[in-house]
Parts: sequence; C-alpha cells; structure tokens
Amino acid sequence: MTLAALTKPWAATSYGFLDASAKRELRRKMLKAIAVPGCQMPYASREVPMARGWGTGGLQVTLTLVNPQSTIKVIDQGADDGVNAASIRRFISRVSGAAETWDTLDASIVQSRHRVPEETMREDQILVLQVPNPEPLRGVEPNMSIARQMHADADYGRLWLTLYEQLVRKGRIMQGAAYPSLVNGRHVMTPSPIPRWDVPKLNMARHLTFLSAGREKRLHAVPPFTRVEPLVFSDRPYRVEDHADLVCRRSGIAGYFMNEIPQDSGGSVFEVSDSNLGIKAIRRAEGEAVEIGATWYENGEYSA
Amino acid sequence: MLTVAPPDAAEARCNATFEALMWSMARPGDVRELPEAGLTSIVEALIDRECVAYADSPDLSRQIADTGAVLGDPATADHLFLDRLEGASDALAGIRCGSALYPDDGATLVAQVAHGSGQRLRLTGPGIDGARDMALALPAEFWAMREQLCAYPEGFDLLLVDGRSVIGIPRSTQIEVL
Repeated sequence: MTLAALTKPWAATSYGFLDASAKRELRRKMLKAIAVPGCQMPYASREVPMARGWGTGGLQVTLTLVNPQSTIKVIDQGADDGVNAASIRRFISRVSGAAETWDTLDASIVQSRHRVPEETMREDQILVLQVPNPEPLRGVEPNMSIARQMHADADYGRLWLTLYEQLVRKGRIMQGAAYPSLVNGRHVMTPSPIPRWDVPKLNMARHLTFLSAGREKRLHAVPPFTRVEPLVFSDRPYRVEDHADLVCRRSGIAGYFMNEIPQDSGGSVFEVSDSNLGIKAIRRAEGEAVEIGATWYENGEYSA
Repeated sequence: MLTVAPPDAAEARCNATFEALMWSMARPGDVRELPEAGLTSIVEALIDRECVAYADSPDLSRQIADTGAVLGDPATADHLFLDRLEGASDALAGIRCGSALYPDDGATLVAQVAHGSGQRLRLTGPGIDGARDMALALPAEFWAMREQLCAYPEGFDLLLVDGRSVIGIPRSTQIEVL
C-alpha cells in the first residue's frame, strides 16, 4: 500500500457539498431506515451552511441522493418561492449541477417543509421531508432513553391518552399537524408537521419518503406500499381539515388544502397551499397547455 | 457564481450504487442495476472506518481493510460480504440482529446469489404491492434461519447480487417458501 493509493487529488469542493464519509454514513442509515419503516435511525448530522432547524436534515438526505441528472423541487409550506425553499433549491443546484423545478411532475427529488404536494407522486420520485421533532413521544415522555424503550416495547398508550383527552375536552381531535401515525403496524412516527390532510398520502404511496431531522440527528423512512395509519379510535374516524369546499381566490380551484388569509374586515379568504398547482391552474385558465397531474384528492375527497 | 466540478468517477459510481441499493431495499424483489458487477462497488459506497466488516474473499477483505474499516468475524460485523452462501449457515447463525432498542445495529448481508433460479419464494410486506413471487438460489435452510433470527424490528437486511443486478430483501419483508 502506498500513501498515494490512500489519498485523492486535491479538490476545492466536494461534489454535493458533503464529504464522502458523511455520504457513506447517511447511505448506511438510509438503508436501515428503509428496512425498518418508521423507526428513527440516529446519524451524525454534519454541518451545512444553514442553521440547524431550517431544514438541515432534509438537505443532507437530498445532497446524498443528488446527481447531475436529478431535478430538484423544494417547497416551504406548499410554496416554491419562499425564501427558505428558494435558498435551499439554489444551494442544492449550485453544489450538484442538478436542475431546478417548481413542477411536481418534473421533479425527481422533492424536498419539503411541512406539505406533501397535491399531485400524486410517482414510483420514481423521492419525497424528503424536513422534520423539526422526529420523536412522537416527546410530548408525553421528555426522557429520550425512556422514549426509546417505549418504542422498543411498542408502548404507545400515552399517545392514545393525549388523543382521548383532546376528545374529552374539546369534542374533537385538536392535533393539527404532525399527527402520530403507525407505520407498518409497528412503529409510531411523527410524519413531520404536515397537516392531517397530507397523512393519507403517505399510506400505501407509490413514492419513497425520507424524513430527516438535522438538529435532532435522526432520520426515518416510509418505503412505497407501506401502511401509514393515523392513530384513531374506531368510533371516531380520522378527519382531515374541512377544506373540501374552500375555493382559491386566485386560481379558482377548489378541493385542495388552502392557506387562510385573515382580512381586516374579520373574514378570511383562501389561497391554495400548493402554490405551483395554483399557478398551473391559472396558466391553464389563460389558455396555456399546462399539464396538471392526477391529484390525491378529487373534489375534496381522498381518492387514491 | 460558484460552479461545482462534475462528480468524479468514484463519486458518480457511489451515487449510482446507492441509488440501486436504495430502490432495491425500498421495493423488495425489484431487480436494480449496479454500475459494476460484483460487490466492490457496494463496499466503495458504504464502507469506511466507522464500520466493522467481514468478507469471505481475500480480495474483498483487502479492499475493506484499505477503507480503514475493522475486519471482524461474522458475529461482530455490521456489514458482511459473501461470495458464497453455501456452507456459511453456521457462521451466519451468530449474525448481528440488533435489538428492539437499537434495530439499526442489525447487520447488512451482501451476497452473490443467482437470480431467477432455485427456490420459489413469495414476498410480502412494505414496498410490495400485494405479493411478489420470485426465485432465488439460496441454501435450503437459509430462510428458516432468517425467520428464526428476524424478530421484527430486530433482524438483518439482505442485498443479493448477481453480476450487475441487485435485489434487496429488508427484514420487514415476510418470505414464504413455495
């Protein structure tokens, strides 16, 4: 063995920003995460040029997956043009040479903060969700060693208790986002703070989902065709937000998840949260030939 | 503006290898294409000095040692690379399966196995739409051993390589020998 055989020629940057050892570690953990769906796998979570808590976990997964043939879409609460989304998308593109897109249909990797796109994702697409708090038990068990033991024992009684308390106190489930969901009948995961509207999209999906928390240094995955069941009582069915009848004031489309915009007059108007779906609907209404893919929800009803 | 050099050959190879491994694990039974035949590209994509690895061939052992990984025995390794599964059953009986507390401690077993011949199997579980039938030339006693060792979420994950093709069978997959 020679010294030269153990080294590589000097380069100013690593392709895709992360160095080779960081990628190898992420690859190993991502394979394990797929093998045990919904189970949180610890990883080292390297520094990236972004503050922890702003999507560093998702970014590291995307940087591991990306290659020059990739097409990247990044969304922040459904919008492609938010500062966070635009900055992450531009950064990924700059360090990898991957193409950028706003269109869910064109993307090979969709990195997302807190929404799943409305257009049904295909079997060749990867959804990378940024997760602020990957531990569904954090609220009921702050000690993470005990929480780990609870996952090992599949001891999720206290999560059921919080849902029961919400029903008793308010008459309905108050959990708006990060609804605890049972994956593959074994591990309860937090699906990141996506609204209840988006949780059914992960159940028996065609695409592969990674959920990565950079600050908490854990990632988990939902492979395609994996059961993701929100925790519900059998006599209180799971309900998504009542957005089926809301109409987007800009694009005129209805039956999708909406952003509520309060007005000075006291009322509210609504805009479709998946902003590029709204943009495509507007362009189509103006006569352009725009392809809008099949959507998970049809007329406000989950149909896939 | 910052411009980034295109990935060098090793980087592109590792990326393509991982993509094949990832999709093969995510869709058990699907055949994916590795950039190179054999196990070397998998070692290159996954193994470094944080690993304890075992290989049954001297060439692969040397490649693993060069990455800085510790060469372990089948019972301590987190990644096992086997050219032959025949006769390895005794060694595999002690394979790491992790624990309910740390399922990620379960090993990854990478082996050269002929696809499309041998025992008929029916795969069900995450990643499979319904059920999937296939044939794999593994030793007869292997699946019973796997069944015994893999008490989900404990278990080990399989990557079966035939030339450039790879099939993944994670521990979440249930296997029925037909």
